[in-house]
Amino acid sequence: MSHDAHKSGHPPVHDPVAAKVDEHGHRHLRVVGQGGPQHKVPLWRRWLVVGVTAAAVALFVLSFTKPYWDFWLYAPQYPRGLRVTIGLTGVTGDVREIDVINHYIGMGHLSGAAKTEREFAAFGIAGIAFMVVSFMLFAGKKVAKLALAAGLALPVIFVADTFYWMYRFGHELDPHAPIHVQPFTPTVLGNGEIGQFMSYAAPATGYYMALGGVVLLAVAVVLRGRVCKDCSQAGTCGATCKNAFVLLPERPADGGTR
Amino acid sequence: MKAWVKRMGALVGLAAVVAGAAFSCTNKGAQQFGAEGQLGASTSVKDLMAARNLSEADVEAALKTYVPTGKLDDYLIFASGGHSGQVLVMGVPSMRLLKVIGVFTPEPWQGYGYGGESDKVLAAGAQGSHKITWADVHHPNLSETAGDYDGKFLFVNDKANGRVAVIDLADFMTKQIVPNPLVASDHGGAFVTPNTDYVVETSQYPAPLGREYVPLDQYKDKYRGLAMFWKFDRSKGRIDVAKSFGVELPPYTQDLADAGKLVSDGYVFINSFNTEMATGGTLQGKPPIESGASQNDMDYLHVIDWKKAEKLVADGKATTIKGIRVLPLSVTAEEGVLSLIGEPKSPHGCDVSPDGKDIVVGGKLDTHATVYDFAKIKDEIAQKKYEGKDAYGVPILPFKDSIRGQVEIGLGPLHTVFDDKGMAYTSVFLESKVAKWNLKELKLVEKISTHYNIGHIMAAEGDTVSPDGKYVVAMNKMSIDRFSPVGPLYPQSFQLIDTSGEKMRLLYDAPIGIGEPHYSQMIKADKLKPLKMYPPGTNPYTDQKDPQAVEGGKERITRDGKTVDVYMTAIRSHFTPDQIEVEEGDTVNLHITSLEQAEDQTHGFTINMYNIDLSLEPGKHENVSFKADMPGVYPMYCTEFCSALHLEMAGYFLVKPSGEAGKDTEKPKDEKAKDDKPKTPEKPEPKK
Repeated sequence: MSHDAHKSGHPPVHDPVAAKVDEHGHRHLRVVGQGGPQHKVPLWRRWLVVGVTAAAVALFVLSFTKPYWDFWLYAPQYPRGLRVTIGLTGVTGDVREIDVINHYIGMGHLSGAAKTEREFAAFGIAGIAFMVVSFMLFAGKKVAKLALAAGLALPVIFVADTFYWMYRFGHELDPHAPIHVQPFTPTVLGNGEIGQFMSYAAPATGYYMALGGVVLLAVAVVLRGRVCKDCSQAGTCGATCKNAFVLLPERPADGGTR
Repeated sequence: MKAWVKRMGALVGLAAVVAGAAFSCTNKGAQQFGAEGQLGASTSVKDLMAARNLSEADVEAALKTYVPTGKLDDYLIFASGGHSGQVLVMGVPSMRLLKVIGVFTPEPWQGYGYGGESDKVLAAGAQGSHKITWADVHHPNLSETAGDYDGKFLFVNDKANGRVAVIDLADFMTKQIVPNPLVASDHGGAFVTPNTDYVVETSQYPAPLGREYVPLDQYKDKYRGLAMFWKFDRSKGRIDVAKSFGVELPPYTQDLADAGKLVSDGYVFINSFNTEMATGGTLQGKPPIESGASQNDMDYLHVIDWKKAEKLVADGKATTIKGIRVLPLSVTAEEGVLSLIGEPKSPHGCDVSPDGKDIVVGGKLDTHATVYDFAKIKDEIAQKKYEGKDAYGVPILPFKDSIRGQVEIGLGPLHTVFDDKGMAYTSVFLESKVAKWNLKELKLVEKISTHYNIGHIMAAEGDTVSPDGKYVVAMNKMSIDRFSPVGPLYPQSFQLIDTSGEKMRLLYDAPIGIGEPHYSQMIKADKLKPLKMYPPGTNPYTDQKDPQAVEGGKERITRDGKTVDVYMTAIRSHFTPDQIEVEEGDTVNLHITSLEQAEDQTHGFTINMYNIDLSLEPGKHENVSFKADMPGVYPMYCTEFCSALHLEMAGYFLVKPSGEAGKDTEKPKDEKAKDDKPKTPEKPEPKK
């Protein structure tokens, strides 16, 4: 990228990261020479996109160890209720007790659920973070919108996968179990009832963090859209952002193309 | 129990009505319980009181003791179960029975003494070649830290067989029974020193230390009393016999003991009777002990400086008898470890006040409670201000100079407990009363009737440095007309008395239908932090994960010669394995782990007719070893209604006869194999 900068005839950038604060309090990456070409978009607007995107990615990453979904079971003999919490890395809570109860209807052990998903969850998060960052900060205007899709994949896939496993657990019942029940899908959201149990399921901290990340990404996409609209290269960028969004000095509209 | 249930049921109804009435009265000023009230239009408190013939005081007592469902008691009582050899745990103010802890006797529900390792705890309590399966449980004592209950351990003595037991309040299980090899009986125990360094046990009926045969005519020379100081190792939760020691005492019949606290910490006080050293002999025309022991007007309060005794023992001044270090009477007398002070006629009860300054002795055959002043006693000992010495050379301190005063209590004062307002409460046996008196002014304040023949008395944390002052419990030896007749052996009774107000109020009668409870202690419920379940695989007799603990999926049966090891798990609603076949004469070791980790999800386990019965609380591991010497078929099953499929939680234990009989059974077995229903897939094939 810095190659492009040399080619375009601008004075060489000795330290592309060095910044200077101008009289308006705006930080400028391009510091070489005096009174360089005017920016169409103030740098802070670009950095704002970076900041919001970073916050979204941070939420995704931090949610990794947090509980994503809570399942509560209430029955007369469980006055304090039973809770199972699922996250990206595993199942915690009253797992053993739920397993004991479930075995009566021939349901499998919770620890057997979504093993592969849990194994690859870290790569998944890393992949999503990578995509979000690359789409948002290095891709062109159109591709940048895909960052939102990448982020959205996390909560969507999580719910879909949870539902899938609930369906499987409720339908792959051991035919030799002591109690025969009609195959069913345990409630994934809200209240349900099975036998003497009242169940309740709801998203937990991690899931809300993921959703928060998506919202931030949406904000970032809008902000990015506005930046692109005002960008010197508006309408001319392709798959990649010709300014590398913030890493390269913004090219003037005229000399923007190679 | 049933009577309780009925009684409580009645109270439930009553209290609901009264509470409702109070509410409606304050709101509407109406006498009538709301017409749409849940108990129906015709019911009013007054009607109910009339129908059940209840006074206002009855209703007040009901409201003070009723604990509605879902609410918990404020205090717990740990009471001796008397002859049952057990300890009772009750709630206050409800007086509901919460648990019966097996201590000196087998207790089937807890699987205590029915094949598991608890057998070893019980067996360790043997005093000779005979198995002892009962006890005369007397005085439970809670462990203390800085003179206050810490809720960690409970100690209790067996008067009949001279033993002390340690109960861990983490799981309310008896962990250790320590037989005292020196004494023939004990009584003054099990009392703890303020930091539970020692559990004190003093003998009752004198006997040669070590119990060897000595004719009674050598009573004065060879018979002795003993104050035993069992060293308690708090980190292990066990008494350390090797670090314990005894202090030899003259053959007076030592009775009750209490450890000094605060200013009197370091001392133990023991009252005694029969300083006459009477031994009976009614057939020879001598007076029975009851008369022989009641001739002197004064007996002796024993004062032991146990810190000094501890030091002398450490300095090698002790002799060892039957493995126990004992400070001989000659040393105790000479070194000032033991001092005697007169105490009025055949006393009972010896209780140190919360501030540690006073020692109160009940007269029993004297109408007074005598209050000894520790500061004076200490002074006299230091200055060797002796009135004389007894026949054994033990210094006697002057009675008159050792006391702060005496209170005229009534006929038969026994034990004394204390509250937080400077009041003392003494049980008055012959009058069947509790006497409340001002400790500082030595003035009788009030008496209240009990029913009947009150023995011990107990107050909420009443023997600690900070009594709570809310309740006193009268422990009565007779109930006569208080409960529905249940045959000639009448229930004993606990009477709960409210001491929070100006006047004492009798609140509740709780029948004790299991033995004579003697003493009890009451602790604030929130000081107890018991386990809800064991960490997986815990052996409760080592308090650690058992090396043989079995994990789910690793169940197996192994055979080594004539020894079969079964590694079994229990979880709703099955045992794994559920079929075990051994040969007659095999030694069978069962290692059973409960895989449950849900509160209150207990399984039982029995191999019937082999007298094997276990309680498998969540996480608990039990090891059972027995000889399969009765051929036959034995269903093994879960003995707790654990789940809807509890009855199905069963299996078979088969013992194949050895020799000829065993060969005969081969044929039908082969036929069975043909009908392609293999019944015992993981059954070990008998070798050879």
